[in-house]
This record gives sequence, C-alpha cells and structure tokens, in this order.
Amino acid sequence: MADVADRPAAIKAVPVRHPGRWISAVIVLLIGSYVVGTVVTAVARDPTKEGGGWATVAHYFTAPLILRGVLLTLVLTVCAMAVGIVLGIVLAVMRLSPNWVVAWVSWIYIWFFRGTPVLVQIFFWYNLNILLPHIGIGIPFTSLWLQADTNTLIPSFVVVLLGLGLNEAAYMSEIVRAGIISVEHGQTEAAMALGMDRMLLMRRIVLPQAMRVIIPPTGNETISMLKTTSLAYVAAFPELFTRSDQIATSTYAVLELLIVASIWYLIMTSVLTVGQYYIERRFARGSQRQLPLTPLQRFRRMLVTFHAPPPLPIEPPVVIGSEHR
Amino acid sequence: MVKAESVYKSYGRLEVLRGIDLEVSPREVMCIIGPSGSGKSTFLRCINHLEKIDAGRLSVDGELVGYRQRGDRLYELPEAEVCRKRSEIGMVFQRFNLFPHMTALENVIEAPIRVKGESREVASERGRRLLDRVGLAEKVDVYPNQLSGGQQQRVAIARALAMEPKLILFDEPTSALDPELVGEVLDVMRKLAEEGMTMIVVTHEMGFAREVGDSLVLMDAGVIVEEGKPREVISNPQHERTRAFLSKVL
Repeated sequence: MADVADRPAAIKAVPVRHPGRWISAVIVLLIGSYVVGTVVTAVARDPTKEGGGWATVAHYFTAPLILRGVLLTLVLTVCAMAVGIVLGIVLAVMRLSPNWVVAWVSWIYIWFFRGTPVLVQIFFWYNLNILLPHIGIGIPFTSLWLQADTNTLIPSFVVVLLGLGLNEAAYMSEIVRAGIISVEHGQTEAAMALGMDRMLLMRRIVLPQAMRVIIPPTGNETISMLKTTSLAYVAAFPELFTRSDQIATSTYAVLELLIVASIWYLIMTSVLTVGQYYIERRFARGSQRQLPLTPLQRFRRMLVTFHAPPPLPIEPPVVIGSEHR
Repeated sequence: MVKAESVYKSYGRLEVLRGIDLEVSPREVMCIIGPSGSGKSTFLRCINHLEKIDAGRLSVDGELVGYRQRGDRLYELPEAEVCRKRSEIGMVFQRFNLFPHMTALENVIEAPIRVKGESREVASERGRRLLDRVGLAEKVDVYPNQLSGGQQQRVAIARALAMEPKLILFDEPTSALDPELVGEVLDVMRKLAEEGMTMIVVTHEMGFAREVGDSLVLMDAGVIVEEGKPREVISNPQHERTRAFLSKVL
C-alpha cells in the first residue's frame, strides 16, 4: 500500500478553449432575435386591432372559452392515451400469443387502423349515424330489443375519443411489442421454470421490464396526441383549437388566436416533456447503478462550467429504489 | 426420480440428443460433463419441458414430462398442468436470470406468492430464512445488479428452493462467475446435496463432481459416452473419448 502522502496532487490543467462555441452562440442569437423580432413587431403593428395584436393575444389567452378548451384538450389527450395504452397492451400480447386466431385478429386491427388516416377515422365515427341511424342490443328475432338514436348515444366527445384512441392503440401495440421483445429471453425461461403461466409472467416479469423501452416512445406519442386532438375540430368538439378557431372567425383576429393556441400547446407539451423525464427515471430502477441527474441538477452544473460536460459527482452509491416496498 | 429412455431431440436438421438413457434416484446428485454442444443443457431443459423431446420417453417421479398416456396414446398436457409440474422442479441458470426489477427477497417470494398462492407473510418469512441459508441475510432488499455474480447465483438458488422442489436442475451454475466467486456457490450446492436434495448438475467443476456427485455422466455429440461413480470415471476412464476430455479439463 502506498502511503497517503505519496499520492500526487490532483491534476490542475488549463482547460482547452472552445472559441467555436462562442461564435456559434452569437450567430444563433443574431438570427433568432431577427426572426422573433420580425414576428413580434408585425403582430404588434396589426392595424385592425385596437392597441395592437398583442393586446388581443393577452385578452384571449385567459378567456374562459379558451381555458375550457385547454381543459378539454387535456381531458381528451388523457382519455385517448388511456384507451390507446390499455388496448395497445392487449393487442401486443395478443399479437405474440401462441393462439394464431388471436394473433391474427390483432394483426388485422393494426393493419386497418395504422393503414387509414386518423382524420378519416374520426369522420367515419362522426358519420356513423348515416350508416347506422340506430344502435341497439337485444336478442335477435324477438321483441326484446333496446334501441337508441346513434347521435344521442355517441356524443362528439365519444366520436373523437374513438377516432383518436382506437388509432393510437394500433401504434401503441407496436411500441409495447417492441418493448416485450427487448426483454431478454432468459427472463421468460426463469419465470417458466418457476411454474408461471404465460399471462402471469407477462404481467409480473416481462411487462415491468419492457416499460423502460416502452416509456420514451409513449411520451412521444402523448405529446403527439396532445396536438392531434386538434383534429376534433372536424367533429365540432370544443377543445382548444376548435374554440380558438370559432373566436377567430367571429372576431377576425385569426393570427392572434393561432398564437394563443400555439402558446397553450407549447405550455402543455413542455409540462409533458418534464413529466416524461421523471417517469423514465423511475423505471430505470434496478437497471442503472446511479440515476441520471434531474434537469435542474444538470442546469445548475451547466452554469458552473460552460466548457466541458460535467464529471459525475463522487458520492456514496445511491441505493436505487430503496423507498420501494 | 428422473428416467430417460432413448430420448431424441433435434433443432431442424441438427440432432442434439441421439438416444439418452439414464436414471436418477431420489437424493442422488448426478453431474453431467462433456464438451460444449454435446447436448447437456438441452437434456436438462427437456426435463422441465422447456424443450419438447421428439422421441423416447422422459418421466419425472413416474409421470411423463409434458404428456399424459391413456392406453397407448399420448395426450399433450394443457399449459396449467405443465406449469404445475415445472413448479415442482427447480432450475438454476448459467446467467442467473434474476428478475432485475425486483429485490433479492422479491425475487425469492414472487413464485411462492403468485404460483403457489402463499401469503406474503409466510413467503417472506421463508424467503428471509432461505437468503440467510445461502449467506445473504444482509442483501434482502438489494437489487440484483448491485450484487456480485456469486451473490446473484446464490439468490437464484434460494429462489429455486423457495418453491420447495423435489429436484433441482443446475445448468452450468458457475461458468459465468469470476474464479474467486465459484467456491461460494459450490459451497451452497454442497450443503444442499448433504441435506438430501436430488440434483442434476451440468458442470465443468471436476472437483465438485468428484467430491459431491453420486454419479458422473459424460455426454458427447448427443449420446452418453460413459457413466459411473465419479471417482472411478475420473481415475479410470473406460473410453478413449472420456480420457481425451478429462485430460483437457483436469
């Protein structure tokens, strides 16, 4: 063992200069401020609006109709993704089933819903009343029959939910399937050797591990869904985009309301991005010895050094997931 | 306990097992050695029906593996039945195959709770005792990737024991370990053997085979070349093939 005093001093060196980073930062700043500046002043100078366009934007940004639209957009996103994820998992497990009838049903579902535009699907559900003016259930060839008008049974929310959710399920099932396949085969074997049946080992062993692969693209899908909800416009469902368009048509403040809607969409997607990051961190449990830094920690570190990627902190090893059960 | 009569198995054109006959009695420790690709692991996997055999008969405890016989007809067993039989046979893998998203204790108690329907309290109580028995009482709440290979394999043995199996299959349990970690796993296995567990061990550890094994089988190219008491086979091999193999591993 070398004596502690023998240990040479830690290396202190002058860091390499990175003039390229400073130059590119200046160029980006110049171009960026020019583009943003042009738009900002153009909206401000809108002659048709009293007090300029930004006053209109500010006015409608918190208008009750818009806020309710934001809420409905969120509700629709959550519900459509819930339908998509649950049905997607079912379809993925079906697709990998040894029962070929089940596997084929799943294949055909995915083929159909991935192969037709979601806009067409929403229109289809919207116009279902032409095809089936009444929907009923009962026992065939008897008078025991419950029947309802299709339009009252399927309100516009359900139309859009069906359109978006069923379409999403097709995409989600492929994401889930990729996740399932990514889990090492030894895991399935170990579970089988312990006497677990297919459903149990899927639920307890494979899917929890597949989550790490499934979550990043699911976050992507959720963000994409948040924006795709604007297609609800065609079914006259009053979410954010439908509302802002209605206001724009009646007030002629078209550009202003597009800006209002865009800012709200950006706020919502930003929140989702942060949420996704923390969910990913949670599911990294058991797969990484050291959890990655949170964005806040990374930001703080970046402020300290603009030069090099920060070194990992020297800390006692974190016991990952020690809070878990 | 295990009886194989001219068992055949091929993957496509490749014949992996070409007529295996052997018998393992209760409380026996059988070690299987042989060059890689000789079919040792495949045979082990056939015993708990992770692989289906193509021809011959293979039975555990007098019951056919994967089939039921009525008259002279064989009927495939339904999944639930196959699972029930597998739950009575423990298996320890070369690559441990612990569940990485569960702590050591959760790994051990998962199957007793979900497959056998034991209560969490009873299963945890026994799980702790088993982890203590393999020398890992302190690692109960630790995730597999924070354990050394030897510790992981000992958790895997505890996991197999938690199902109270009548037979444990070991598929090269020490081959993926650093040399200094092999001993701790073999010690656990030796204790198990002393307690009377029936074990079939595919291994390259000749020392273990000689001291712990009741019988030794040398497989090559899908057939059993030689079988006998470990000491006799090792010190006085009857076949040229055995002599050649032993000269390389001893």
